[in-house]
Amino acid sequence: MIKFKNISLLILLCCSPLFVLAQNAAVVTVSGEVLTPLELKREDLTAFKPLSHKVKDREGKEHEFKGVALIEVLEKAGVTTGAKLRGENLAKLVLIQAADGYEVVYSLPEIDPEFTSNVVLLVTEKDGAPLPAGEGPFRIIAPQDKKQARWIREVRSIKVLFAKD
Amino acid sequence: MKRSAQIRTGPVHRGHKFLNVRWLILSIFVVCFLISGLRFADNKAEPYPLVYPANFGGRINVPSNNPTTREGVALGRKLFYEKKLSADNSMSCGTCHRQKLAFTDGLAFSVGVDKSLTSRNSMSLVNLLWVRNFFWDGRSASLEDQAVFPMTNEHEMGQSLETSVRKLQQTPGYREMFRKAFGEGDIDADKIRKALAQFERTLISADSPYDRYLAGTYQPTPQELRGMNLFMDAPAPERQVRGANCGHCHGGPKTFKELFHNNGLDAEPADSGREVVSRQAEDKGRFRVPTLRNIALTAPYMHDGRFGTLDEVLDHYNEHIRDSPTLSSFLKGVSNEKGGRTLMLTSGEKADILAFLNMLTDTTFINNPAFSDPD
Ligand code: HEC
Ligand code: HEC
Repeated sequence: MIKFKNISLLILLCCSPLFVLAQNAAVVTVSGEVLTPLELKREDLTAFKPLSHKVKDREGKEHEFKGVALIEVLEKAGVTTGAKLRGENLAKLVLIQAADGYEVVYSLPEIDPEFTSNVVLLVTEKDGAPLPAGEGPFRIIAPQDKKQARWIREVRSIKVLFAKD
Repeated sequence: MKRSAQIRTGPVHRGHKFLNVRWLILSIFVVCFLISGLRFADNKAEPYPLVYPANFGGRINVPSNNPTTREGVALGRKLFYEKKLSADNSMSCGTCHRQKLAFTDGLAFSVGVDKSLTSRNSMSLVNLLWVRNFFWDGRSASLEDQAVFPMTNEHEMGQSLETSVRKLQQTPGYREMFRKAFGEGDIDADKIRKALAQFERTLISADSPYDRYLAGTYQPTPQELRGMNLFMDAPAPERQVRGANCGHCHGGPKTFKELFHNNGLDAEPADSGREVVSRQAEDKGRFRVPTLRNIALTAPYMHDGRFGTLDEVLDHYNEHIRDSPTLSSFLKGVSNEKGGRTLMLTSGEKADILAFLNMLTDTTFINNPAFSDPD
């Protein structure tokens, strides 16, 4: 296991400019039961309607998050939303995974405006600046959740899957 | 059955010599065919029940092309302790993964066949059934894949899979064991990996005092209970809740969650860990959060074995977290005092957490004869 590592480290050190190039830019991927898989950079979200949401933290200080509606991103990927969200599509779930391996699930109707007036946001900014390391570049904000455990930070992947029985 | 009946009632007795020989040969063939069929049915590998408490959850990983069977596990166990899998016949998986030490080796870095050191600390092999990304950096996606690294790495067992296959073919007993586990066909590298993985999936630890406490059959001491609460709770000085928040990363009935974090060992990590796998700068210095099961037995600690005792580990979390751009946000600015910059646990509280960590030692697991060297 070790030799392999040493060699790769060596190569990476020798070509550090390449190393920078070789680093993947931070993206969020949308995959699974989609028509068009997506790989979105922060800038790509400007194509969607901007939304914001204000939250008070534990000390009572207010923060403003800016981002887009998660449903718009899913629609861009061709997920079965709106009129198509019926029949077996109601057995689909949205699995969101973070850089640290943390995972949460939403069901499609929890996100779809034809089912709910709650809006789940995919945000990239807090108080006018990009989300800090450890929180961004992408985070989910679900204002209707009283407990913030599904406000998942450092989102790397969004997968639409059928629930398996 | 129909065909053998035909043989007995066939026109053999009427024919001349030549016909007789033909029928003899044919009937030998048919009998052999039937016997082999019967033997195959006899030896069809029997499913191995993987038994674990319901609160461990059923998100287990067994690939559909390698179901766990009694015969496969028996073979995997033998291979796990087989020194012929190393270049100089001196070491097996069990050399660096000793059952008495919860399948670690007590060393900061292990020594390979070429007498050089591994670059990371040997990991405990326990409850691997629930792991999805193996090694400290999560670079291997299955136990079947993982096994190739130690076998072929020149600083570990240092032997090609072809050589291993040949050595096993020349060792009495193995052909039969492979046949029982995987049916007809010769020994090959794929089967070695599969058998090892099957054995490793059976290494389930679920009988520590903490497990028994969760099952309602063990009453912890007051100190263990205090330690458990400190371990699980996040500190909230504004609500007078004291805690160490270990459970955020190490919690749950298995005391294992598959997460990757930078737990503040270094400001500038020498080993960049997960970053090499994901090629994302945010992952620098992130490592898999290891299981704390049997933690009292698996010193030294961390991916480089830098801490010799659990006291040192607690001092680290309490006093020496090193800040860096990728330090886990769950270890930043977490304190038991308002405005505190470190955890600020008292020495009594550290002793309480230590008492809880000792509750995670599963002596049934380390003494289970099913996991020991069969020879
Ligand atoms: C020379 C010592 C050595 C030998 C021999 C060895 N290992 Fe390991 N093992 C290690 C080290 C060191 C690690 C951690 C390496 C890393 O993360 O890069 C490890 C990690 C593992 C892991 C990962 C556990 C986890 O939770 O992710 C498994 C599984 C494993 N070894 C199985 C085996 C098997 C099976 C064999 C025999 C084929 C074997 N090891 C032989 C030293 C050894
Ligand atoms: C933010 C997540 C996180 C928190 C919170 C956390 N740990 Fe860890 N822990 C880790 C990671 C990651 C490692 C492995 C780090 C490495 O080796 O680079 C680790 C390693 C350990 C190890 C060594 C395990 C081994 O096999 O070598 C022990 C013991 C440990 N932690 C105990 C604790 C205790 C006790 C607490 C609470 C005071 C705690 N941890 C809080 C993430 C965390």
